[in-house]
Amino acid sequence: MHGRVKVKTSAEQAETKRKEREKKLKLYQVASAAAASKRANGEFDKEALEITQNILEQNPDIASLWNFRREILLFWEKDRQEEVQEVLSLELPFLESCLRVNPKSYGAWHHRAWVLVHAKHTDWAKELRLCGAFLQKDERNFHCWDHRRFVVQHAGIPDTDELEYTSQLISTNFSNYSAWHYRSCLLPRIYPDPEQKGRVAEDQLLKEYELAQNAFFTDPSDQSAWFYHRWLLGRAEIEDAITCVYVSKPLQTVLVSFSKPVNLRNEEDEAVLFVDSRPFPSKWQVPDKRSTFSHVWVCKLPPGLLEGETLQHCLHVSWKDGRLKKECLLYPGSKESWCQDSATDQKLFSLELSIEKSSVLRAEMDSCRQLLDLEPENKWCLLTCILLSRVLDPLGHASKTLTWFKKLLAVDPLRTGYYKDLRSKYQVEDGLLCMEYAETRVLHLARKELTSLFHLDLMVLVTHLDVSGNCLHVLPLAMSCLQCLQVLHADDNEIEDIEGVRNLPVLQDVCLKNNRLAHLSQLQPLTSCCRLVSVELGGNLVENLPDFYTHLHELLTHTRPV
Amino acid sequence: MGAPLNDVHIKTDAPSTLFLDKHADYIASYSAKKDDYEYCMTEYLRMSGVYWGITAMDLTGSLTRMDRESILEFMRHCQHDCGGIGASQGHDPHLLYTLSAVQILTLFDNLNTIDLEKVVEYIRSLQQKDGSFAGDKWGEVDTRFSFCAVATLALLGRLDAIRMEEAVTFVLSCMNFDGGFGCRPGSESHAGQVYCCVGFLTIVGRLHLVNADLLGWWLCERQLPSGGLNGRPEKLPDVCYSWWVLASLRMLGRLCWIDSKRLRTFILACQDEETGGFADRPGDVVGAVDCIRSKTTIQYKNCFPYLYIYSYLSKPCLQVDLFHTLFGLAGLSLLGETQLKPVNPVLCLPEETIQRLGLHLQLLN
Repeated sequence: MHGRVKVKTSAEQAETKRKEREKKLKLYQVASAAAASKRANGEFDKEALEITQNILEQNPDIASLWNFRREILLFWEKDRQEEVQEVLSLELPFLESCLRVNPKSYGAWHHRAWVLVHAKHTDWAKELRLCGAFLQKDERNFHCWDHRRFVVQHAGIPDTDELEYTSQLISTNFSNYSAWHYRSCLLPRIYPDPEQKGRVAEDQLLKEYELAQNAFFTDPSDQSAWFYHRWLLGRAEIEDAITCVYVSKPLQTVLVSFSKPVNLRNEEDEAVLFVDSRPFPSKWQVPDKRSTFSHVWVCKLPPGLLEGETLQHCLHVSWKDGRLKKECLLYPGSKESWCQDSATDQKLFSLELSIEKSSVLRAEMDSCRQLLDLEPENKWCLLTCILLSRVLDPLGHASKTLTWFKKLLAVDPLRTGYYKDLRSKYQVEDGLLCMEYAETRVLHLARKELTSLFHLDLMVLVTHLDVSGNCLHVLPLAMSCLQCLQVLHADDNEIEDIEGVRNLPVLQDVCLKNNRLAHLSQLQPLTSCCRLVSVELGGNLVENLPDFYTHLHELLTHTRPV
Repeated sequence: MGAPLNDVHIKTDAPSTLFLDKHADYIASYSAKKDDYEYCMTEYLRMSGVYWGITAMDLTGSLTRMDRESILEFMRHCQHDCGGIGASQGHDPHLLYTLSAVQILTLFDNLNTIDLEKVVEYIRSLQQKDGSFAGDKWGEVDTRFSFCAVATLALLGRLDAIRMEEAVTFVLSCMNFDGGFGCRPGSESHAGQVYCCVGFLTIVGRLHLVNADLLGWWLCERQLPSGGLNGRPEKLPDVCYSWWVLASLRMLGRLCWIDSKRLRTFILACQDEETGGFADRPGDVVGAVDCIRSKTTIQYKNCFPYLYIYSYLSKPCLQVDLFHTLFGLAGLSLLGETQLKPVNPVLCLPEETIQRLGLHLQLLN
């Protein structure tokens, strides 16, 4: 019971209470039976309204009784219009008293909306005042907030008035999360960003930064303003795009990756592959052979299609009726080729934060660091500093970011799992950036305290991956994106699931020393890697099984595990 | 400065082990007291009550203690001509109770007790132009009902019966600035609605449309120092959010973002050692309190997605109920409690039942 005060009562009091309840129950049962019999006999009269009112005053969530009342009113509508309007007008104070006793009754709020729509002369302004009164009593009552939005819509109240209302509420109490939420809905409607759908135009955005800052400088531990601030920094929606086309001659395969998961089997999302300008009837498959939606799709080409050592081939993928396309040229004599969008900082971080003017973000960073000087243990401020540093200059702030993470983990241990995963995500991003600057296909992620792998869809061209010395438990299914992976180093983790190596067509060397592989069945995914040359499993419990190497050879007949 | 933290204090002598048998006793005795005040006053949600009771009972491994035949007999009287199912005889049909009924019959492996074709027709008839679902013919729209619709159809293997793309579009239109979901477009995020929408997207294979990192952050911020979870910022913890929040995180592959040990301590502290069963939270509330109405003789309890009515209590102990008992047990099961059967995070039925149906629900990993 919410906030129930515990009181011990004597046996005597208990007995009185029991009797009271018995009496109440009797009354309730008699009334319910009467209402049911009236409904069954089609007695849609005033008495029926009275009976149901008596019960609903006690318990406003017996949905069938509200339904009965509506049936009566609809029945009268045919020839007793005036009476209906009169009852409808009386229904409002009755509902108000129900809601005063229980302001969170779904049934009562719904019935109120129904009445307001059915009444001929609804006073919407009055109804809006009622919402205001209820919200004054409980500023977080989401039923009433929803009712208010319904009233606003019917009364044609402009969004700007409602924005002003949220400003008032926030100025009296910064921690009114409901009001911040409402602002996030109103602002993109009132001040839409001309370029990014769902975002707020820059002038207004700057004012909102100021509002949020005022709030968290006043009370740095109040989460509402921080959640709102993260949204302001927020992400623009990722646009549809083909990010990479890759072709391999020995594998007779074309791979395409997209900016977000797509389902190429869906007719509307069909992608057409042209080989040397001729459409090729392609059968697209997902690398993990399971998912319906995927960033990455592959297509087998028939043998002979890319033949001829002296010929150049053009692979062209057209998507969304030709609006989006990408092509890659396979030069004479080459075994593979690709065309990939560069993973510049901005593109990577657009997943997390949109690109506002950097001066604004720098000013934000300055004020957050100022606040952090005053409140060195404030987790919200620490996290915001990290988010800002990621947008401004991820590699430049790398070591500072790690210090902040360390502090975060110390001050907010309940969210250890979240912070470690977030840190892993940023480490992977930095690793991808370094790989791109170095113009290689070798990704170094060893000893970075990784707890999870992120951005696997951006690793489609990686040939060598080193994730040794981390805290990984799983090589996840999504690793099947790494279709070019030849060498995988994953020693010294806590891996007990290697599902991710399944279906990696060119994987040759796998190092999994010192992990938590204890059963042969856990190694089963390796059987699908048909080019496997060596597997290292030293330091896993599985090694101690009797006749382990014999069993392993049986399992991997085509490999030579070391 | 600022708002006081809404949380509870867990006493050192609070229960810290699972009273497995006691809970089974509590559920069995609940359904035996049919003249009890609370039993009678909750008739309007009986079908869901039966679902909570038998699912909780099955998780404890004691389903045989429930009177299967009388439950099936009860259910034969609850389907209406339109195909929808009411909470009890004489109560109008609604999607909430239609889902509960199909969950019960799935668990009993007895789906043919009702006319399934009509159930499908009923659900189809409630889909609105914008893809949303009304809870019944009176038109209340809510993402809870989108979940009820697809969860029921998934159990019946009939997801093809509705206009899926529009249904997905509507649910996505309820996504908010914090990555969460509300009842309708523009409604504030609430962990219960988040569960419904994430569950909906899981069932229809569109989980990639959720911003899992952003929403996961909001969800893990629901954990309070007591270890308990609340449903929205600044609210008190409640055992049922051990389910709504935890199951959502499980679907998003981010269960490790909350502190399991602390949550387990909180859930166990909500048990009534004497009678069995779970209450919404352990005894002592600290900080601001959302609704003290100790003087009235009737108390309301709002627990997503229902409202309950209770008489004022005379007993100086936790007020336990079937709803919190199921979600307390289901939460513990998700946390890996070995004395309980594993629970499916999407449909809140034993995992073995979902496997028997051959339903494949792809979660994020």
